[in-house]
Amino acid sequence: MVQFLEMIENMGIAVWVRESPSIFAYTLVLSLHAIGLAIVVGVSAMVALRVLGRFDQIPLEPMIKLFPLMYIGFWINAVSGFLLLSTNATNMLTSTNSLFPMLTFYIKMAFVVAAVLTLRILRPRLAAGGTQQGAQGLSYALLGFWLGAIIVGRLTAYPYFVAAWLGL
Amino acid sequence: METFGNWLGTFEVWRLMNAFDWLWPLCEMIHFVGMALLIGSIGILDCRILGLAKGLPIARLEALVPLGIAGFVANAVTGALFIIGNPTGGPAAYLTNFAFQIKLILMVLAGINAIAFYFTGISQQMATLGPVDEAPRNAKIVAAASIALWIGVIIFGRLIMYNDTLLWFLGL
Repeated sequence: MVQFLEMIENMGIAVWVRESPSIFAYTLVLSLHAIGLAIVVGVSAMVALRVLGRFDQIPLEPMIKLFPLMYIGFWINAVSGFLLLSTNATNMLTSTNSLFPMLTFYIKMAFVVAAVLTLRILRPRLAAGGTQQGAQGLSYALLGFWLGAIIVGRLTAYPYFVAAWLGL
Repeated sequence: METFGNWLGTFEVWRLMNAFDWLWPLCEMIHFVGMALLIGSIGILDCRILGLAKGLPIARLEALVPLGIAGFVANAVTGALFIIGNPTGGPAAYLTNFAFQIKLILMVLAGINAIAFYFTGISQQMATLGPVDEAPRNAKIVAAASIALWIGVIIFGRLIMYNDTLLWFLGL
């Protein structure tokens, strides 16, 4: 496992993102990750809030057309996230050196997977008018999962703080 | 700028921001949520004006704008706390950071762009458009500028911590 992760860390693109002094390496990838977050979470949140009854002058069914926009945000973050991960794969995915940031990273990924699955389940319900009980619950869940992903994602940048906070 | 920064640094806010180790990450989380609300709301409106997601009436999407403003206000407050509470170098180092200065200029331009949308009659024009109608060219220019400026705000916001990389890239 560790050998495989070290292989990823030594891939040309991972080395470049990590070590190149170019502004297009680490800093641009980091910026793309923030842009993707804003798109996928922001657009998701507007759809969820609409299902929950806010901005009810906006017709709900055509909001399905916003899903491709969300998926653009999602894929920007899948790719930029993989690149960021590849620069530090062993520390992010195993506890070889420390329990953190591995733990927060896995929790963040669980939130992201849950949010994307919720989006997929919610989508066909928008076509049906989104008035069913299920759609409301899914919308609350979607907002909660994205909020969780942002909170734990930020904590991933503070491994020492999290360790101290948990008394570890 | 530096004198102003030093003056800001004399407030108790600096001490507060650095007294609790959870306060800075908490403000960052709020800053990211505010960013998502701003981009989600204003971005949807801009994308529809540019011709995406036809079927959504543009004028009604303007109902999202107050939430975008709420996100902006949350970020202005947390952003001000980052500036005043900057642990290394205080507010003066933050205000003289080149990436931050560009970010600020882009935000001012985005503000002027938003004012142009509401006060040159473009917003009123939107009210006459049907759900699948194409927006006029001037509206599209304002929408494209809005997207470009806010993406620039995010990029240069991220670059604040990597100001040396930016200066090196620009040969400054």
